[in-house]
Amino acid sequence: MITIFKNKRDIPGDMDYVELNDLFFNQNTVSKLDDRANAIVEKIDASKLIGKYKMESKFNGVTLDIDCLSTGCKTVLNVMYFPNMVFCMKECGDNALEVLYGLETGAVYSDYAIIPFDMETVKVSDKNEVRVISDYEELKEWWNNEE
Amino acid sequence: MKSKPIAMDHFSTVHTSYIVDFDFTNNITILTGASATGKTASFSFIRECMAINLDIVCINYQNYQKDIKKMLAKETGKLIVIDNADILLDDDTRKYISMDEKNQYLIIGRNPKNLFTTSDNLFELVSEKKGEQTEFRLKKYL
Repeated sequence: MITIFKNKRDIPGDMDYVELNDLFFNQNTVSKLDDRANAIVEKIDASKLIGKYKMESKFNGVTLDIDCLSTGCKTVLNVMYFPNMVFCMKECGDNALEVLYGLETGAVYSDYAIIPFDMETVKVSDKNEVRVISDYEELKEWWNNEE
Repeated sequence: MKSKPIAMDHFSTVHTSYIVDFDFTNNITILTGASATGKTASFSFIRECMAINLDIVCINYQNYQKDIKKMLAKETGKLIVIDNADILLDDDTRKYISMDEKNQYLIIGRNPKNLFTTSDNLFELVSEKKGEQTEFRLKKYL
């Protein structure tokens, strides 16, 4: 399950935080993509990877550079391929959020609640505790609870 | 918040097989919705028009280190298009935008905090195939 931080101060010192998901993906994640990325790209962007650096546009089928993936899809791939880093999740649409919450591992940050309706179990981490939450309302309450 | 567009009530452009055809009904338009609907693609097509249309200013994550509020304060009579708004706009800049009577805004993001907007300001992107071309238009969100 993914780990969620709501305060940058709670991110452990040995975990780097990334806010610009587009830039990080284009410079780092793209070189690590393997077969696991296909399902993510198809599910979120309804596109196909057709090579290491190429994708097919869902709009007109033309071949595009892989930097044309949506920011939401790039964010999910960043989290998946770099589980020891924390990524900003604010630019994920609902379709990307559903996939993000279902990842086996990884870490994300937002200072306000961003929760898909069909949420999976997540781990939340703040200065007081690390705990597991499976309920939408409970997660929302944790997020909105001022420390 | 309802206020008439200051700079333009319509914008259209063509980029190869893509058409952008936006009608603006408010001075602040928030373009939101699911990932991969074409929001950032539309941004890039509008940004291309900056080369010939001095009424357009485009800002995205490449301006991350800049003082966005200061950039906005220098402009008058422009359509200011901001992609990656959820990471670029702090509370102070959002309040500035909500009070700015000199410029019009198209903000691509999901968080309307401090923009003092209502559902009248929220739009999503719809795409429609027209022959070999794809047209992007704005549609009220929800």
